[in-house]
Amino acid sequence: MPERGDQHEKGKTMAHTTNGIEVEGRVVECLRNATFRVELPNGHLVLAHISGKIRRNYIKIVLQDRVLVELSPYDLTRGRILFRYRT
Amino acid sequence: MTINRVAQRHWHALDDDRVVGRGEAFRRPDRRIFLSIDAWHGAVFDQLATVMLPDLPRPLFTVVDEADHELTSHWRRAGFQIRGREYEYRVPTDPRLTGLSAAPLPPGLTTLGFGAAAPEPLGALDRVIRAEIEAGVGWQQMPAEVMHRPDGTALDPSRFAVAVHRGDYVALLRLTPVRQPRIGLIAVTADLRRRGIARALLASVLGSLHRSGIPIASADVNESNTAAVALFDGIGAVPQSSNLELVLR
Repeated sequence: MPERGDQHEKGKTMAHTTNGIEVEGRVVECLRNATFRVELPNGHLVLAHISGKIRRNYIKIVLQDRVLVELSPYDLTRGRILFRYRT
Repeated sequence: MTINRVAQRHWHALDDDRVVGRGEAFRRPDRRIFLSIDAWHGAVFDQLATVMLPDLPRPLFTVVDEADHELTSHWRRAGFQIRGREYEYRVPTDPRLTGLSAAPLPPGLTTLGFGAAAPEPLGALDRVIRAEIEAGVGWQQMPAEVMHRPDGTALDPSRFAVAVHRGDYVALLRLTPVRQPRIGLIAVTADLRRRGIARALLASVLGSLHRSGIPIASADVNESNTAAVALFDGIGAVPQSSNLELVLR
């Protein structure tokens, strides 16, 4: 079982890559259908699922977790949680 | 839309040079291959699955949140079937809610709190329990948190509470100290099961958390583990979510 360590560059707040836009945020609501509402630093709210890698490694996302979210290129109000930071 | 295999076990779905989907195959320590596919649309998921699946050996596994009906239906469309279910329990720590304050300790039993166990007998107990699992239900029936580690990996006593019976370490409970503490493993040696030892160990750990001001812990329990389900149901713990393990044979 992999330990839940930081797998992503620390201190990154936003990056625009060929993978899409990645933004740090904080989980402000855990919804019932396996989705989370994440507040971005600019105050915008994103409805996010968790990535397959997080699910596969049984990493739990709870309220107030600081997370890295990839925004959908088709709808910037939706995203995918790629990573959970330790703090 | 094009699907590229970018590494031996990684695939990308590209739309105008933008990555709009990713697939990955990952071999867990129990040797099983787990898949993940992230896509913004069901059609991209299907295309990734169509390219990935013929290139991989069987059986293949994946995990989905049971509440995520859309993702579950994607996998089922790709031929995956439900193999098992793992509950995530929300576990109260207050003895008034768990009823554990009244749990009598089995005769001859004492408990050691986190950090108090000696590394050597703790490691020996861990090896015994893992060997019993290997010879019994097998790793594939255990939650992911209970997977075996490479030989020689040292245990961190600060994460383990231990039950001691007449001087021997006989049961352990591993706690992951994240914001909401998570019980990753609770196990008793085979010859001493059904004597209330797990319950006594749980009482000790939950009582300690409660005194530290932590009201809730969590625990992952496979639905096929009826003893564990009964243990957590019996202390007022409630399943708050569940994961499905899916398989393609």
